Formats: sequence, C-alpha cells, structure tokens
Amino acid sequence: MTAQIIPLQPLERGYLNVLRVRSAIGWLTLVAIAAIADGVLQWRVDTVFGLVTGPVVVFGALSTIFLVPGRWRRWGYAFTDRELHVAQGWLTQMHTIVPVSRVQHIDVSQGPIERSAGVATLILHTAGTEGSRVILPGISRQRAEEIRDAIRGRISDAPW
Amino acid sequence: MEPRQPIDPSILPPRRLDPRTILVRALPGLPSAIFAVPFILTAVQGEGLALIFALVGLALAMAVTGLISWLHWRGFTYQVLPDQLVISRGILNRTHRSIPAERIQDVSIKRSLIARALGLAEVRIETGGGEADEGRLDSVSLDEAYRLRALLRGLKTRQAVAETAVKAEADVSSGDEETPLYRMALPRLLYFGLFNFSLVWIAAIFGAVQYLDQTQVFDWGRWLDLLDVAERELQARLNVMLAIGFVGLAVLLGIVVGLVRTVLRYHDFKLAFAEGRFRYSCGLLTRTEVVVAQRQIQLGLIERGAVSGRLGWGAFKVQTLGSSDHVSGRQELAPFARPTEIEPLVVHAGLPPFDQCLLRSVSRWHAAGACLGSVVLPAVIVLVASLYFPLAASLLLVLPVPLAVSLLRPRFHGYALAETCLNVRRGVLKQRDWTVPYGNIQSVTVRRGLLQRWLGLATVRIDTAGGRGINGPHIHDLSDDKAAELALSLVHRIDASGTAENRIRFDNTPSVADIS
Repeated sequence: MTAQIIPLQPLERGYLNVLRVRSAIGWLTLVAIAAIADGVLQWRVDTVFGLVTGPVVVFGALSTIFLVPGRWRRWGYAFTDRELHVAQGWLTQMHTIVPVSRVQHIDVSQGPIERSAGVATLILHTAGTEGSRVILPGISRQRAEEIRDAIRGRISDAPW
Repeated sequence: MEPRQPIDPSILPPRRLDPRTILVRALPGLPSAIFAVPFILTAVQGEGLALIFALVGLALAMAVTGLISWLHWRGFTYQVLPDQLVISRGILNRTHRSIPAERIQDVSIKRSLIARALGLAEVRIETGGGEADEGRLDSVSLDEAYRLRALLRGLKTRQAVAETAVKAEADVSSGDEETPLYRMALPRLLYFGLFNFSLVWIAAIFGAVQYLDQTQVFDWGRWLDLLDVAERELQARLNVMLAIGFVGLAVLLGIVVGLVRTVLRYHDFKLAFAEGRFRYSCGLLTRTEVVVAQRQIQLGLIERGAVSGRLGWGAFKVQTLGSSDHVSGRQELAPFARPTEIEPLVVHAGLPPFDQCLLRSVSRWHAAGACLGSVVLPAVIVLVASLYFPLAASLLLVLPVPLAVSLLRPRFHGYALAETCLNVRRGVLKQRDWTVPYGNIQSVTVRRGLLQRWLGLATVRIDTAGGRGINGPHIHDLSDDKAAELALSLVHRIDASGTAENRIRFDNTPSVADIS
C-alpha cells in the first residue's frame, strides 16, 4: 500500500470468520443450485454428476480460503477523537474520513453471526448524500460503544 | 446492555411501543388475506381433508406472522436520556441508534385514520440526516406522543434559545422589503434560448426520416419510374438538395425547440432577496416560485456552457439542504448572466468569491483515465466492429475530438483551499466552479481505482448535503501524497469551521444590511 493517510488499525480477527461464514453461505447456495442443475443434466443428458458442482465447489473453497483474508486485510480504521477513518476495498480502495462534528446519529448493530464472533458494526449517519452512511464492521462491541460515546460526547460539547 | 445506567430518577427505563401497534400493522394486510380465503376454497374444491389442511396451513401462517410482529414489537424499545434518544430494534440483528439531542431538528406527530380510531400516534424525530427514516416511533399512545415531544423539545431548549437569539438579531438588522437582484428580459431570454439548441431533436428527426424512408413514402425511385429514364440525372441532384434541406430543417427545428423550451421554463425570470431568503419565480404557462433560505445553501456553483461560456455567460446555482418547507437539491438562481451580475448573488448567498489565482493543478496523468475511457476503448470497439462492417472504421475520424478533450482535462481542473471554503474547477467543454464552505462538507473520501494505483494517483471525493447526480465538487487524480495531505487538511478545516451544525453557523453570517 502506498502513502497512508493515517496509521490504521486492522479489524478484529473474529470479523475474518464472519466474512468466511458469509462467503461460505453464499457459495453453498450456489453449490445447491449447481447440484440441482447437475441432477437435471444427469437425468436428461446422462453426464457425470459433478460436472457443474465440482468447479463451483473448487472456486468457492479457493475464494473462501484465499480471497476472503485479502478482503479482510483491506479493511482498517482509526479513531482520533476528532474524526473516524474507515478504509476498505480490494480493487478500488476507499478511505473515508468523517469529522465527528458532522455526525447526525449513530447505530451500533450486531447480527447473529457477528455476535457469535464477538464483533459489532458501527454506522455513522451524516447529512451527506453519497456517504450518508459510513459503516465500520468488525470491531468489538465494547470498542463500538466506546467510539459511539466519544462521538456523542463531542457533539454534546459543541460550543454555540 | 444500555449505554448508561439511570441515575436521575426522572429518567425512565426503556419503553416499548403501544401493543396495539401490532394490530395497526396487521390491518393493511388483512384485505389481501380475506381475498385469499375464497381462492383457497375454490382451489381445494371443498374436499374434506384438503380443506382442513388448507385451513390449518392458513392458521399456521397467521400464527407465524403474528409471532414475528410480536417479536418485532418486543425487540423495539426507546429511551430518552438527558442528552440523547436511544432507539433499539431488531430480533436477530440488534441495532441501537443514538440520536444526540443537539441533532434533533424537529419532533412531529402524525396520525393515520386507523391510528386516530385507536388513539395512537406516530412520532417522527427529524435530524436533517441523509436518511428519511431516522427516528420513527410507530406508534405510541397519543398521551405518550405529547409527552415525548415535550421531553425531546425540552432537551433541545438550549439550542432553541441560541437560535431564536440569533434570529432576533438578524430581524433587527434587515428590513422587510425585498431587494431585486436579477431578472431576465425577453431579448436576453431569446438569446439564452439560442444556446439551448437541442441536438436530441435533430437526432429524433433524422430517426423519423430514416423510418419514413423505410416505409417507402420517400421512395423516390418509385415516383421517378413514372417519369422518363432520362430524368435520372435530376434524381441524384434532387437527393443531394433534399439532404441539405433536411439538415437545414433539422437545425431550424433544433433552434425553435430550444427557444420554445427556454421561454416556457424561464419566461420573466425574477430573483429577489429579503430576510435571508432568495425568492425566484419563472415560467410562461406554469409559473414556479421557489424560496431558498440562505442558511440552507450548502454550496455555490457557477456553470459556463461550451459556447455561451466562451462568450462570457454563465449560470449561478446553489445546492440546498431541504427541510419540511424548503426544496432540496440544485437551484438555479441565475440561469444566464454576466460575471458582474453573478458576483452580488454570490455575496448574498454568503459565499466568498471564486478566486482562480489560488487554484492548484492536479496531476498531468489526469488525462490518462479519460483517454482510456473515451478514446482507447471506443477505438477498440470501432476496430472490432470494422472487421464485420468496414464502413464503421470511418468513426475513427471522430476520435481526435475526445482525444483533445481528454488531453486538455488537467489544464481545466484545479482546486484551492481558500480561507473559509474549498474551490474546485473542472470541465473542458462545460466549465464548473464550485465553492463549498468547509462547514458544509459532511465527509471526505480518498478513492484509488486500479488504474490510479498503477499511476500513483487518488481522487478526493467531497460529500455534501442535498446533492444529487454525478457532478460533485470532487478532485480527480491527485498524486497519492498530495491527496492524503489534502484530505487531512480538509478534515482539519471542517473541524475548525465550528463544531456546531452548519445551519446554526450560517445564521451567524452577515445579513443583507451588513453586506450592502
């Protein structure tokens, strides 16, 4: 990675597992569809079972094992008390900076997979258009609440 | 887990919505369920066992739906804390939203017909965020709604006091009468119409001619067959003259359509300013009147057309953040004006003038991305196509135009960090000058595409409120380190521009009387 705007912290390792599970679920759905297609092919054209399923399983396994960690590594964040930095993206890299003073409201959410991995998602809402929701997944619940409380404190302290 | 333990006895524990909400939500779905009953009855043809299965299935489906709505209701709580409102929701995916008291713009109570019948009300908390559904309590009892409104308004009294004080000050300093700022008389309107010459219509006309040609109406051969063969010579000449005639007609129609459209839309354009608000009205058949409050203005934009801009004409637009009684998006305060006429408008909008001397240029490689997209890619497509249709190769003759535009792009793109705002200029044919006060920038994103990473470039994207469409004040293709530096200094300036929200900041800008 070239010129860093600010040193970034990686996400929790637990989030890597969340990404893996999500990727696996996505691929398993594809495998199921491929298996049905295989079944139909075998019945109608008499091909070997696994003609479609095989490649899908291989691609899915490769993607889940090798590509997902790459995607996970691209994520990074930094909270400096004045702004939140969120970096992401594999082909196109994005580094978003939200000044704390521009935050309208804050969500902390946790889905079932995230909960079992011990991570949470922090969502900052601004009045903007394209970046009205800045999402930071894969940080611990405690850290998310810390950042939320810090931001709320900063907004409340605003001088008039 | 709640973020703060109640210490103050006045803080109540998290509350749920009114249980009747489940009923209110189920009611709109009821008619479709009733329609399903006869359908099921006819489908099972009244056969004993099948009917029982169908009815059991229906009951089961209703029970599951009921259970889900009940879980949703159970999972949704809200709590008013001294400095914020916390809304928690979700069954599996739990979300806790905190809305800081300072961000609450308005608390509205809405009652639908069903809600009124049951004595319920929907409370909406508006914060001016990008999302419509920011804080919605659907539904609580009417008493609770009033209690909440009083409570939430109480939380923001400090803000309200500050705001009214500033407003009162402004009222004293500014008079009641409107200052006319700009108007467009008929000669100028017609001149403006000439530049709105519509190419789309020319294409449409050519398309129609092509179509008529195919439908044999203009099959000249058929008519000429009736004449002597010796007159074939005439036919060729006739076709050429006809073609010239059609081109002339299309151009004329393009001009007329442009004129008519402009007159219909901008007839008698008048802009006035009073009490911190711009008011403009225009239109021939439908007269539109728009009010733009100065404090809602997020950024200023001066646009110069490819031809009219070279002749010294421009348009002044502002981007506004909408609220309940104001429009959101881009507003044209002057569609066709001289720079000297635009200057006072910029001042009244509370923006500093655009200083082009300060502009810094972007990387020279800015041309590369455009070349790839608008020259190399089309060239490849044309070349591949010409393998099948050799005539397509003639399209290559047009490519020098996008090539020239692409190569000129770095010269027409620049940015400047002025004292109170960011200035951005972009566009070769149509030039755009943005002025964005630092206080109105919501977030900054540094974006690196694949090609940009190879070339060591980055784009700095500026997010503002109320903006739609692709033409934002983004700065494309800076070198990596410059982009990082720009992003950081922008964020520092945003922070320094006042932590308070922009609308409050704008109330403090000088009022009319101070400027003129």
